[in-house]
Amino acid sequence: MEGKIVVVTSGKGGVGKTTVTASLGAALALQGKRVAVVDMDIGLRNLDVVMGLENRIIFNIVDVVQGKCKLKQATIKDRRINNLYLIPASQSDEKDTIKPENMKWLCNKLKKEFDFTLLDCPAGIEQGFKNSIEAADEAIVVCMPEISSVRDADRVIGLLYSRSITPKLIVNRIIPKMVERGDMLSHQDVVDVLSIELLGLVETDENIVVSANTGLPVVMQKDSKAGKSFIEIAMRMNGHPDLPIEDPTAPRSLWKKLSGKISRKSKVQIS
Amino acid sequence: MMFNALFKKLMNRGEDSKEVAKKRLKFALVYDKLEIKDEMLEDLQRDLMEVISRYFEIDRKQMSLDIERAEGTSALILNTPILAARHKKPQQNNPPA
Repeated sequence: MEGKIVVVTSGKGGVGKTTVTASLGAALALQGKRVAVVDMDIGLRNLDVVMGLENRIIFNIVDVVQGKCKLKQATIKDRRINNLYLIPASQSDEKDTIKPENMKWLCNKLKKEFDFTLLDCPAGIEQGFKNSIEAADEAIVVCMPEISSVRDADRVIGLLYSRSITPKLIVNRIIPKMVERGDMLSHQDVVDVLSIELLGLVETDENIVVSANTGLPVVMQKDSKAGKSFIEIAMRMNGHPDLPIEDPTAPRSLWKKLSGKISRKSKVQIS
Repeated sequence: MMFNALFKKLMNRGEDSKEVAKKRLKFALVYDKLEIKDEMLEDLQRDLMEVISRYFEIDRKQMSLDIERAEGTSALILNTPILAARHKKPQQNNPPA
């Protein structure tokens, strides 16, 4: 059976696409799937450093597309996780070196080798985005509970629909305290506005920064809440679509409920 | 802050993750700059050909210039068949400084 091509996109930059791609790739591979993660940000690669594989790059995606090397030569095996592979972007080429038809060709090859191919889409809706969605079977839209991020996500969702791709949503970097206080959009607000299926909720987690510092996947850190969320999202993608989504903002104890109420009193009134 | 740092040292947690990040970043930046465009290699090849031709007669068509990359290192490899040495002293274009 052929594998799936999943594009991870957001429109807006800096909302966590690369972290989501690296973490879901790691989680899916730990669940026994063969996974390739592809950095589509030609000229500004970063998936390699987040995964701690930056010093193993010899060939990249542009070399493959231009026939300078075989796909296998540009495919870097992860240091820790079996069945996880990275295809890095080139750092020196122009953004539009790759064309949509190149991606079709490449993704057809990847489908035969891997159960999941995750494409880390660059920010924006230009060539890199067009290349990334060209051969995608599925899409994950990453969105922060923040006004500009939601707006850009909405634009990207429209573009995906026009290509007959039905995207699923990850609300990333939720700050439960702020949501409880009423100072941050809740995931429900975001879902209401975007009206697409929710795939997962991830709260802001300091472990993500540490994980990027060291190049160790956050899904392998035992006490990371974000890591746990990514593992569950990977399970939903991987045969358990009905796994319940835990709400990070739900008060977990009476004390939290009380403190939530008290802080709500100090809310700024806007009439 | 100071107490935190001291506590970490006492716990012997080893290197801070930010120190790891800094080292990796320095290396990555150097590594990124080693990626060279084809046009630059072509220019270099043309310039090298010109210099070598002052000393040797070479088969220009068979000359090749490549960057070989292996884990951690990069090498510039020039390969050219020599047809003959030029015995006349080459003209000095640039007098030594």
